[in-house]
Amino acid sequence: MKKIMGGFSIILALVIGILPIFTDCQSQGRSLELVNGKTVPMKCHWTGIAEIGVAIPLGLVGVSEILSKRKETFNFLSLMGVALGSLAILFPTVLIGVCANPDMVCNMIMKPGLVLSGSLAIVASVVVFITSRKVAEANL
Amino acid sequence: MNLFQLALKNISGNSFRSGVVSLCALLVAAFALTTTLLMRGAENSLRLAIDRLGADIIVVPAGSEAKIESALLMGVPARFWMPQDNVNKIAVIPGIEAVSPQLYLATLTGADCCSVSDMFMIAYDPQTDFTIQPWLNQKLGNGLRLGEVVGGSYIFATEGVQNIKVFGYLVTLKANLEPTGTGLDQSMFFTFNTAYDIAQKSATQAEEALVIPPDSISAVLVKAAPGSDLYVISAQIMRELPEVTPILSSNMFQSYRQQMTGLLKTILVIMGITLGLSVVLIGLVFSMAANERRKELGVIRALGATRRFVFQSLLMEASLLAFLGGATGIGLAVLSVYLFRKLLIVSLGFPFILPSPAVLLLQISIGLLLALFSVNLAALFPAIKISRQDPAVAMRE
Repeated sequence: MKKIMGGFSIILALVIGILPIFTDCQSQGRSLELVNGKTVPMKCHWTGIAEIGVAIPLGLVGVSEILSKRKETFNFLSLMGVALGSLAILFPTVLIGVCANPDMVCNMIMKPGLVLSGSLAIVASVVVFITSRKVAEANL
Repeated sequence: MNLFQLALKNISGNSFRSGVVSLCALLVAAFALTTTLLMRGAENSLRLAIDRLGADIIVVPAGSEAKIESALLMGVPARFWMPQDNVNKIAVIPGIEAVSPQLYLATLTGADCCSVSDMFMIAYDPQTDFTIQPWLNQKLGNGLRLGEVVGGSYIFATEGVQNIKVFGYLVTLKANLEPTGTGLDQSMFFTFNTAYDIAQKSATQAEEALVIPPDSISAVLVKAAPGSDLYVISAQIMRELPEVTPILSSNMFQSYRQQMTGLLKTILVIMGITLGLSVVLIGLVFSMAANERRKELGVIRALGATRRFVFQSLLMEASLLAFLGGATGIGLAVLSVYLFRKLLIVSLGFPFILPSPAVLLLQISIGLLLALFSVNLAALFPAIKISRQDPAVAMRE
């Protein structure tokens, strides 16, 4: 089960890292125009960048879950998974956010996709935590 | 070891078999709940939109029926006009208690003078209105003044200022209406005075002027007197004013209802096939498992377990797997529909609103029961067969 969840975490990390590249407003050719005529990316773009910082360690957590054998390691990895899953949810909702218009692609696909992936990453980590405890109890 | 512990051991003992059965239960529960949420949500949304209109009959220019439905349901801006004196002609028809005119306007596309592109806007006459005004009186204590607007649940203003730019004119957002899941959530409401003021000032402030033809309105909302026959009133309106079409609120959104019925039939067929295939697959998996475990169950019987115990342990195993898969499927379905609701509305082309927590709980219970029923049904025959076998024969094989 832990190996399956490790693989699942790697897939989720890929989704979290790649999804914003194709679903932020910049990818649709939309940006903010300043008074001086320069254009800057909207805030959903920065959320997408921040999510890469979540995706890489989450992918490593997944790899470690596949390779590790010690219960203590699984406890730590589960904790990391929960923290990274929470961050994946918090970036588009609270910490940075996405564009205000509900009709924009970042609101329709990117934000819900990241919240769903983050939630599933948390669930996967909780499953790893529970199963590693049970295996440890059985070995006693 | 009790029944529950034995079932748990069996589940963890064969993760592939357990995974397949849980996946089938997950698919059945998730598909059933998603379908129910979408179809019931769409029906609720249509009902809320009709309630929000608050009129028994809506009179629009002939040929504008589809436009008004698209505007109210999907927020697609509609522009059509008819003479203002139609209001007086309709008001004198017997059986009508109140009439109120409305103007349907829209912001420009991609223009700097409008904060939002292609936003559907409804102007009402505060003197005669019986749809928005009562809600405003209850919520704000008074009606809207010049330059003030109320928005659907998706309408928002710049943080702190509460201003929205419409044709270069800054309007103040006073309140937001409750969500309906329809285009009304993306619409803005203001008085005739505000509409005429925007139109007047747009000539100098906007990239393109807002044109409201003189002595024209878009629609007339009609409230019938209690006990009146709406069909008789509609027929009378059509006789008096042949250039307009009266739409009964109960007949609104017929094209969307037909589209939804067609979709519902397709979904029901797919669901039937999914359910049937899942039951067959789970039945096969349990039959294989029963054959594999003949010796093991024979030993259990030889150690004193009754046929009933063996039968119950197999059904307990099936129920646990169904619950696990069903609960996961339901969780995923609810989360996905909730998070991707806007995308679903745009993709499916019809609105829907999420149900109240009590109704959602009922729908979740039905989805879970369906998963439990299908898995137990599939496991029933192999469980009966294996529990009836002779332990001595089973152990020898």
